[in-house]
Amino acid sequence: MPKDPLRTRFTEMLGIEFPIIAFTHCKDVAVSVINAGGFAVLGEAMHTPDEIAADIAWIRERIDGKPFGIDLVLPASVPESASLDDMIAKIPDEQRAFAEKIKKAYDVPDPKEAIALHQWGGLNQELGRAQLDVLLDERVPLIASGLGSPAFILDAAHERDMLVFGLVGKARQAKRQLEAGVDGIIAQGYDAAGHTGAVGTFSIVPEIAAIAGDTPVIAAGGVTTGQHLAAALCLGAAGVWTGTLWLACRESDVDMIIKDRLIESTNEDTSYSKSISGMTMRVLKCPWTDEWEKPEAPPVLPTPYQMLLSAEYIQASNDHRRADLMTEAAGQGVGFITSMKPARQILFDLVEEALASLEGVVGELP
Amino acid sequence: MATKTTPGDAFAGATRPTVAGFDAAKAGRRAECDGGRMIPGTKYAGREEFSGTLTGEYVDHGDPPWRWYRLCELTQKPENYEGDAVWCESGNLFVVDEDAG
Repeated sequence: MPKDPLRTRFTEMLGIEFPIIAFTHCKDVAVSVINAGGFAVLGEAMHTPDEIAADIAWIRERIDGKPFGIDLVLPASVPESASLDDMIAKIPDEQRAFAEKIKKAYDVPDPKEAIALHQWGGLNQELGRAQLDVLLDERVPLIASGLGSPAFILDAAHERDMLVFGLVGKARQAKRQLEAGVDGIIAQGYDAAGHTGAVGTFSIVPEIAAIAGDTPVIAAGGVTTGQHLAAALCLGAAGVWTGTLWLACRESDVDMIIKDRLIESTNEDTSYSKSISGMTMRVLKCPWTDEWEKPEAPPVLPTPYQMLLSAEYIQASNDHRRADLMTEAAGQGVGFITSMKPARQILFDLVEEALASLEGVVGELP
Repeated sequence: MATKTTPGDAFAGATRPTVAGFDAAKAGRRAECDGGRMIPGTKYAGREEFSGTLTGEYVDHGDPPWRWYRLCELTQKPENYEGDAVWCESGNLFVVDEDAG
């Protein structure tokens, strides 16, 4: 008798029903997905240790002992340092003038509040470790490292019966983490929102599945439908990591303007741009990204200088809720988001679509 | 063998123990770093790739030790990256000849 295709090493590892991970910054979304039989990982990279502890408690009160995960962004490299004043002073006139030109051309207002420059020191090893300490103290069931290698905390996590997954954009990163003993690999393709590697999801998933042995590989990047889930399983994945999909769901705390933008967007409406931060990241196209792609645009500045330039535009567009200016990280599958549904419904739709897709290929499933 | 060399400005604000050392076996080796970090002021992260030569200097941050190596003489770095060196987390650092294939 054929096996249930949605029963995978990942679902067995966590004792969950569906091999679907919702990556979200919204606790309500996480709780809805977990209680519907999926798995959720809450992005807490920007939170203080106290905030993380509070969020963990909040989630635990609502999921009746089910497992959940927390994602942190462990740095993989850090510059030798510079002060904020030095950085601001070094922004060249050419780029300053271009930013001002965009502001005038699109009637970008001034931000309502001062830009939170206190955060601009960057997130370093100290904060990452303090955040990790909370996860270890709280024995969070699963730690996901959204960028850097989590190898150095594996022993401490495993002593506490915690799982550690690493998100990678290249096979060699996966190989290194597998050798270290991570419990799962999230193979993230170029289609993804935010920071991505250069390899597409369809190539990186089977490449990493081929070297992962029994360690579950989770496909990430552009996964937005049940067809994507079915395809990911066929590529060798044991589950999918989905982010953009949940931004426009009913429980999501994302601004309604952005939800509408996501629902209206096609798969061509994202930009893989350095113009926001100086590092490539995939976001919804907006005047800021469009202008910096024009031939007359000056070179994009490195991080954090470009972010210092874009911060005023970003904050002003959010403060004044200007739909024509706002942007958000979004993956290439954004075009498949066509309505605002409850998270539970999104999860069940994914499952039904995946099963229908697989049955379309192999016939009726058990 | 650990020495008392200065960890560098990247660790200047560290409140946890930082132990600086020198790994002679790594000194002078060419390496690539699949780097990146949070983008300051945002909830997003970004990837940054570097290639260069390891000085052999390292810093172990906290307990359990989180090891960082100093990569200098950068032959590849993000466009307009102004630094001449970068600290790379050991799990994301690939010594070119050791890690080939």
